[in-house]
Amino acid sequence: METHTLNKGSPRAARAFRFIRRSYADGIASLVYAFDDGAELVERIAFPDAPVLAPERAQAFDAALDLLHLVAGVSYYKAGVPGDLRVESTTLDEATATFLDALYLHGLGEFAYHNKLDLRGRIRFPFSRTSSGAAPAIGLPHRALVPIGGGKDSLVSVEILKRAGEDATAVWVGNSPLIEACAARTGLPSLNIRRELSPVLFEYNKAGAYNGHIPVTAINSAILVVAAILYGFDAIAFSNERSASSATLEYDGQPVNHQWSKGWDFERTFGELVHASVAADLDYYSLLRPLSELAVAERFARTSRYDDAFSSCNRNFRILGPKPADRWCGQCPKCHFVFLALAPFMPKPRLLAIFGRNLLDDATLAPGFDALIEYHDHKPFECVGEGAESRAAFAALAQRAEWSEDALVARFADEIAPQLEARDLALDALLAPSGEHRIPERLVPFVFDAHC
Amino acid sequence: MPWIVAKFGGTSVSTRPRWENIARIAAAHRARGRRVLIVVSALSGVTDLLKHIAESGADEAAARAAQVEIVARHNALLTDLELPLRNALEGWLARLDQLIGDTRRATRALDWQAEVFSLGELMSSTLGARFLAAQGLDAHWLDAREHLVAQPLANQGAWSQTLSATVPAAPDAAFEGALAARGECFITQGFIARDADGKTVLLGRGGSDTSAGYFGAMLRAECVEIWTDVPGMFSANPRLVPEARLLARLDYEEAQEIATTGAKVLHPRSLGPLRRAGVPLHIKDTNRPQLAGTEIRAVASDAAPCVKAISARKGVTLISMETVGMWQQVGFLADVFEAFKRHGLSVDLIGSAETNVTVSLDPSENLVNSDVLSALASDLAKVCRVKVIAPCAAITLVGRGMRSLLHKLSTVLAEFGALDVHLISQSSNNLNLTFVVDEALVDDLIPRLHALLIRADALRAEDGAVFGPSWRELGAGAAASTRETWWRRERAALLALARETTPRYVYSLDAVRAQARALRAIGSVDRWHYALKANPHPAILRALQEEGFDFECVSLAEIEAVRATLPQLAPERILFTPNFAPREEYAAALAIGARVTLDALHPIEHWGELFSDREIHLRVDLGVGRGHHDKVKTGGAASKFGVALDEVETFRMLARKANARIVGLHAHLGSGILDANHWRSVYAQLASLAERFTRIESIDIGGGLGVPSRPDEAALDLAALGAALAEVKSAYPQFKLWMEPGRFLVADAGVLLARVTQTKRKGHVHYVGIDAGMNSLIRPALYEAWHEIVNLTRLDEPAAQMVQIVGPICESGDVLGANRRLPECREGDVILIAQTGAYGAAMASRYNLREPATEMVL
Repeated sequence: METHTLNKGSPRAARAFRFIRRSYADGIASLVYAFDDGAELVERIAFPDAPVLAPERAQAFDAALDLLHLVAGVSYYKAGVPGDLRVESTTLDEATATFLDALYLHGLGEFAYHNKLDLRGRIRFPFSRTSSGAAPAIGLPHRALVPIGGGKDSLVSVEILKRAGEDATAVWVGNSPLIEACAARTGLPSLNIRRELSPVLFEYNKAGAYNGHIPVTAINSAILVVAAILYGFDAIAFSNERSASSATLEYDGQPVNHQWSKGWDFERTFGELVHASVAADLDYYSLLRPLSELAVAERFARTSRYDDAFSSCNRNFRILGPKPADRWCGQCPKCHFVFLALAPFMPKPRLLAIFGRNLLDDATLAPGFDALIEYHDHKPFECVGEGAESRAAFAALAQRAEWSEDALVARFADEIAPQLEARDLALDALLAPSGEHRIPERLVPFVFDAHC
Repeated sequence: MPWIVAKFGGTSVSTRPRWENIARIAAAHRARGRRVLIVVSALSGVTDLLKHIAESGADEAAARAAQVEIVARHNALLTDLELPLRNALEGWLARLDQLIGDTRRATRALDWQAEVFSLGELMSSTLGARFLAAQGLDAHWLDAREHLVAQPLANQGAWSQTLSATVPAAPDAAFEGALAARGECFITQGFIARDADGKTVLLGRGGSDTSAGYFGAMLRAECVEIWTDVPGMFSANPRLVPEARLLARLDYEEAQEIATTGAKVLHPRSLGPLRRAGVPLHIKDTNRPQLAGTEIRAVASDAAPCVKAISARKGVTLISMETVGMWQQVGFLADVFEAFKRHGLSVDLIGSAETNVTVSLDPSENLVNSDVLSALASDLAKVCRVKVIAPCAAITLVGRGMRSLLHKLSTVLAEFGALDVHLISQSSNNLNLTFVVDEALVDDLIPRLHALLIRADALRAEDGAVFGPSWRELGAGAAASTRETWWRRERAALLALARETTPRYVYSLDAVRAQARALRAIGSVDRWHYALKANPHPAILRALQEEGFDFECVSLAEIEAVRATLPQLAPERILFTPNFAPREEYAAALAIGARVTLDALHPIEHWGELFSDREIHLRVDLGVGRGHHDKVKTGGAASKFGVALDEVETFRMLARKANARIVGLHAHLGSGILDANHWRSVYAQLASLAERFTRIESIDIGGGLGVPSRPDEAALDLAALGAALAEVKSAYPQFKLWMEPGRFLVADAGVLLARVTQTKRKGHVHYVGIDAGMNSLIRPALYEAWHEIVNLTRLDEPAAQMVQIVGPICESGDVLGANRRLPECREGDVILIAQTGAYGAAMASRYNLREPATEMVL
């Protein structure tokens, strides 16, 4: 009996994870969850200067809020991963349940890998309806939310939208001086949505709950769907590129993708779900989907506008300083990859000024770069491009006199390139847009445009 | 009547108070019977706006937007100066409007650009003339273009003939006479001149200084004054080195070298004409005209060799070219340099060897924005192996007679010895010595080198003829006067105690408590630990526990000392942070229930079972990886503390395997730090690192809070520290903040009393022997620490004699204070060594079998 009281609501001992209710008032959305009969977990999302909701959008807003509630639950569900998912706030149709099953399973793939859990067969969202039919168009104004993250990708999207003359607003979730600085640099209007996790989750974590990676892009996407309905935007233009769709590694026969919610499967199913259940005229797409990481890097290099403001470093620098080392740790795979990907496309002094150092002339970094080119190692769990892109970038640099003598470039040329097929190292093929995408027709030329 | 040329930069002409200042300065010169020529820059920011226009090309909207802002800026100032908006500048603004409408805008014609740019100075000087007149100063407006006539140089291209022109200015009695006939006070424009055809040309970057130099030479002025926002030139960039000394006196060549190698306060081009005409130049602080500033004149005949300044230029790119037997190849260097010329790149430093030539390129927009470097490298690769090394910084020591100073630079050279120096260059004019190193090292290196130069007596900071006060002193004003200390108040009691026995340490618990309360008042810190290695005296431990402090211990014996003194203390308030301790100590600490910090992989890898189901803290070494450079790496690897950043993941993996929970991250970056931003940076780095963990609750940013010792050092600004910590805390509210100060709490609370045993004179060196030696206080010998030393018996007598205060230990290093001024000391006098509450008694020994000083609490 004693043990039972102690474990009451403890995530790892819980039998059920409950989606209790969600509400919205005065710019604040509240999402409420619990494990069994344990403490309520309340997440709050604040929409600044929220307008009064137009009545014709009320139904769509309600649907968007439901979707957000269900998607954002993944942050809490993972603390215990109980086998029973109870949705008490609404009833699901089959399409939504199927989407959520996939999101929770794949979005927690890396989490499961690290915690040595097998979630297959464990996640079953209950549904009672087949499908409610398509949601209507609600006359959303023709303008786009473009989420930015302080890294190069979303800034490329910003520049594409500006060039296409689109009415765009830079949006981000959470407090980040880095993103704020980049947003200011875009010259676009901006919107900063705040998100406050339930403090109970931290207590659970301290007490030994499961913890790890969650599909944060999915949560941000759902937040932006609510924002689009609330403020009136008919598009959400993310900046996920082609390689985000590829699996990071295979574990126990299951592909594990660190960035599943940045992948094509998520984009397509989420976009379709928004059309079907929220608003037919709200488009969700990734502007960079047909582009490789290298193609994005090439487009980023076209403007130096963000050189001293952006950072793709994995270390989240919340305190900015004036030096490159205050934005780029130089140690993480993201620093390595972005350095390598930009190098073929910008003058060397410009790249070195961005990073404050030359990562490719530091022999001690060989293991990190080896991982990028899949030499001696599997692909690390980071949002980095495919091995082929890294190898092609190295091969391009080996041909450039200003790079060829740098320690890691010379090592690539001497040691690694001879083991590779020259035709697999061509840069041009990797720069060509290809593959599926959901980009609106009018924007396609601006994305595909090889050179401006 | 002699002339003064006074030049005022952009910020000095942008507000009414600044213009009132100019009027005062000019009036003061007039009152001394001097003729005055005022040279002004454009309002600050206006030249940049004009640049937008000059580069707008086809984008008329951009040009018009800049125009609107320019008009607004000037109108705002006119209103401020209470001058009529109309008439004053209408002519120039109309001209600006015309120029924007001009067809030459599209082609960015050089002569058109020059005219656009010239309007900034023409407008500022025009409104200045009006304002000075309104202040009762009859300043004639002079068009600089009527008097400064540029001449093209050999090899000078069209761009620089128009936008970076040169005027052959020399003393011109006719011009001086003509001007004197017109009046006694004039205002004119910096930056602009005309060419032989009468077209407007510009004098390039820093052109207003250059104009002042030209006019100063032509008028053979008594002096050219450059009025700016800083007190003068400094021995180093004061933003990096607060201890940098004002350079009171320089010769032209040294000043030129310092200005060329880094200092921004003066443009080096202004000095040439003045040197030839023998006109001195003064750099003065507009905000504090009473300060002497920097005086630049001809070299003094008795000048001793001395390092005057250390400067750094960042953004340097090195091109290293390697080939076998290049000296045998006739024309190899010619081919190489031809390639640089072809690509429009000018070489600065050169180093050469039998098989290698390395040259440096200064930073330029061209290098960053174009493919020129790639093209150059491709061309060079045809004749040699080429390697581009960047980003680098050139660190230059400047001073006359550098070669004769080399023997004094051994410690400085040793510092470079630990780094990867890419190139060393010693200029043939013997004025500088330059080292090229990785750019990321520079900001930390310069303050260290500056201190070493002073310590080595290569930069003779005590020479009042050359060096003025430090930047910090200038900023602090006279605040750094004698600090009020408890031991001055307790002098009588201390003298009585010294009569009982010496040497003896005396501690003031009130002083400990005062420091403890000052720290607790800064906020943000959730948990304070006292690092008791500084002083484990039981009375101090009790006092600090009463003040709410927890305890940081580095050995099991320290834990036992705390528990013996404070048996009721909850064990979790003890933080055990040992380094290379044996396994048993960790086991014992865990058994007691203390919190444990690991700072290596070994314990978690080999003794994992000890930590199973335990909470542990991890000490990381932020040194490694942060700069990614050899020095930092050596620094990291050479430090025996902490887990390197690139091993943190391995540590996590091992902790997971051992079933240990990492709940805290810790780093400690050094000691004696007086700059609040250091903790901000450590805190921010640790917090961003901690976010990648799952269970981190606390961030421990260590201690190292500096205690000023020398009279010219400012105390750590606790309010600034509090603000810096609060800023990071608000960004990472999920983590508790811990600190563990030691010395800061107790240093000032202790004094060491000793008695004079003997005095001695050798040559002109006076020794005062005391009964406390390095066995009682080892800090001066070990760390070259500086402690204030007074003769407590004769506290009120004038400090007449320069003495060496030495102890009785048979070691030549047993010197407690070198070159101190004290009243004449006699046997039996009581000597007080201040600030010895930390690492004094704690580090004492029985060396020579002499008992160290005893301890007591006041």
